[in-house]
Amino acid sequence: MDIAVETRALRRVYRSRNQEVVALDGVDLRVARGQRYGVLGPNGAGKTTMIKILVTLLLPSSGEARVDGLDVVHQFRELRHRIAMVSGGENVGFGMLKVKEQLWMFSQFYGMPSAPSKRRIGELLERLGLSEAADRRVSALSSGMRQKMNLIRGLITNPRILFLDEPTVALDVGAARDVRDEVRRWMAEDPTRTVILTTHYMMEADELCDRVAIVNRGRIVAEGTPAELKQRVQQNAIVDLQLSPGGRLLDALRAVEGVAAASVTEQDGLDRFSLQLSNDAALGGVMRVVEGSGRQIRGVQKREPTLEDAFVKLVGRGMAEEEQA
Amino acid sequence: MSTAIRQWRGFKAATRLGWQISSNWTQPLVFVLYSVLRPLSAAFILVVMYRVISGGGANTAAYLAFLVSGVAFWSFVQYGFAGLSNGIAEDRGEYKMLKYVYTSPAHFYVYLLGRGLAQLASAVASALIVLIVATIALGLPINPLHINYPLLLAASSLALLAVIGLAMAFGVLLLQARDAHGYGELGSGVLYVISGAIFPISVLPGILATIASLSPLVYWMESIRRSLLGSQAIRMFPSLSDGDVLLRLLVTTAATLILAHLVFSWADRTARQKGLIDMETNW
Ligand SMILES: Nc1ncnc2c1ncn2[C@@H]1O[C@H](COP(=O)(O)OP(=O)(O)O)[C@@H](O)[C@H]1O
Ligand SMILES: [Mg+2]
Repeated sequence: MDIAVETRALRRVYRSRNQEVVALDGVDLRVARGQRYGVLGPNGAGKTTMIKILVTLLLPSSGEARVDGLDVVHQFRELRHRIAMVSGGENVGFGMLKVKEQLWMFSQFYGMPSAPSKRRIGELLERLGLSEAADRRVSALSSGMRQKMNLIRGLITNPRILFLDEPTVALDVGAARDVRDEVRRWMAEDPTRTVILTTHYMMEADELCDRVAIVNRGRIVAEGTPAELKQRVQQNAIVDLQLSPGGRLLDALRAVEGVAAASVTEQDGLDRFSLQLSNDAALGGVMRVVEGSGRQIRGVQKREPTLEDAFVKLVGRGMAEEEQA
Repeated sequence: MSTAIRQWRGFKAATRLGWQISSNWTQPLVFVLYSVLRPLSAAFILVVMYRVISGGGANTAAYLAFLVSGVAFWSFVQYGFAGLSNGIAEDRGEYKMLKYVYTSPAHFYVYLLGRGLAQLASAVASALIVLIVATIALGLPINPLHINYPLLLAASSLALLAVIGLAMAFGVLLLQARDAHGYGELGSGVLYVISGAIFPISVLPGILATIASLSPLVYWMESIRRSLLGSQAIRMFPSLSDGDVLLRLLVTTAATLILAHLVFSWADRTARQKGLIDMETNW
């Protein structure tokens, strides 16, 4: 197998005056060339730290990482020609430059000839619907447009491996779709390109990625194709239960015999409990607990498993749930 | 494609970026006015202060020439040093682009060099404006036909290298600070005092005078005055010939560059170790 990215026992500890945070706790990652690879995990899981190490922005505390066969610590100069990184969710850019000027400058930082770069920038602006903004100042762009421009900056230099850190975070639905579409199109142009993207959106990982690593607290807890990961919870029945708001119920539900895992999210003013039931009889026990709580049942559905369910089963809680000490 | 061509492209783009950032924040007319008025008013304040203090003694004219030539060329330090070291902090904090520049194949040195050299045009313009206006207004003994241009150019080129080296090291060192805003002025202010720009270093207390005599900026200032004013210059090093001054400038510049390189490398590695290149700051 042709490996694009490989890490061994990768570890990163942040030290500040009075505490240590283990952001990566022994990560072994293998990404084959040509894949759209997703790193999925909740906030604080260590996704950004991993990306930063892989793009030579941050040194690991220990362990090893190779990108395109090059060591990220010692061969960083050569590596930088072959990669690009784009982070979402931040208002970046040299505000006083025109959009196309800023993009051109980055093509120059990558040592590319000027004329073909300009052509490529024009194409990409067109593809992402930014042609009209080409001559506008960066500071005049909406945050969604800036994020698209930032994606273009990552694409124009034709990286062998593209790193996207939460590329659609904070984008509206339309812009997020444009970004995902562009990633697909860019990958389809050349089968030897590789994308590694982090996300905490289940749907994004499911829809966009060939393979996914689920990370939690600095560790990879599962890895596989989205279908394989969902397969892991296939033996359970997944039931969504919409309840009126009320006191804490999750622990009581988890304690019910036959409930393999449970999580809760808020949705339209209701609490949506997702339950993984290892046998149908468990539903009776669940209903008794709900009745005892005094909450109203507003809806019950059985549905197909998602990556979120896989995460809940592996980690014991939902992605959006606050971690409990 | 050769590495040199790639780096050259990066260098040119960095220079352009530096120029755009320093000039493009306002209307062109406002920028020109600002560029003219800022150095003139700084020089004006010093001249007035000196006149008030000295009360127009016998040596006034010679010292005014000393003062004005120092202040005029100080623009190189101001623009180069403050401009560049603040620029690194801005790239990180305000524009949040430092991480993208840093992980690009453009050598960080090359990028910063380009970003710093972009200030050169402003610095030269500023120095010329102050010199011309002050020479006419104060009747300084500067005659453009009698300037020792080779000495002026050689000394200023060396000093420019030293300033940019110091600024790069200082700027990368500043990445350690969460809010690196304003330290650039502080750094150039310190250099101002120990460079002989506004008074001879002999008036400094002992230890500072010794430190100053190790700084290339002092020999640069001395060379500037000798090349502009010839025999009328107040000399900080009367016993040294022009060649000796230039030699000292060369040696101190070389030492400065070595020191700057060591500091830069250390700070750069530390920044990568601690994740400072994209640290969230207080902008
Ligand atoms: N510069 C830093 N200093 C200290 N702790 C940090 C720093 N950056 C990240 N962390 C901590 O490391 C952990 C992982 O963070 P991060 O890699 O940003 O996760 P993610 O991108 O998955 O949200 C978190 O607990 C975060 O608070
Ligand atoms: Mg993150």
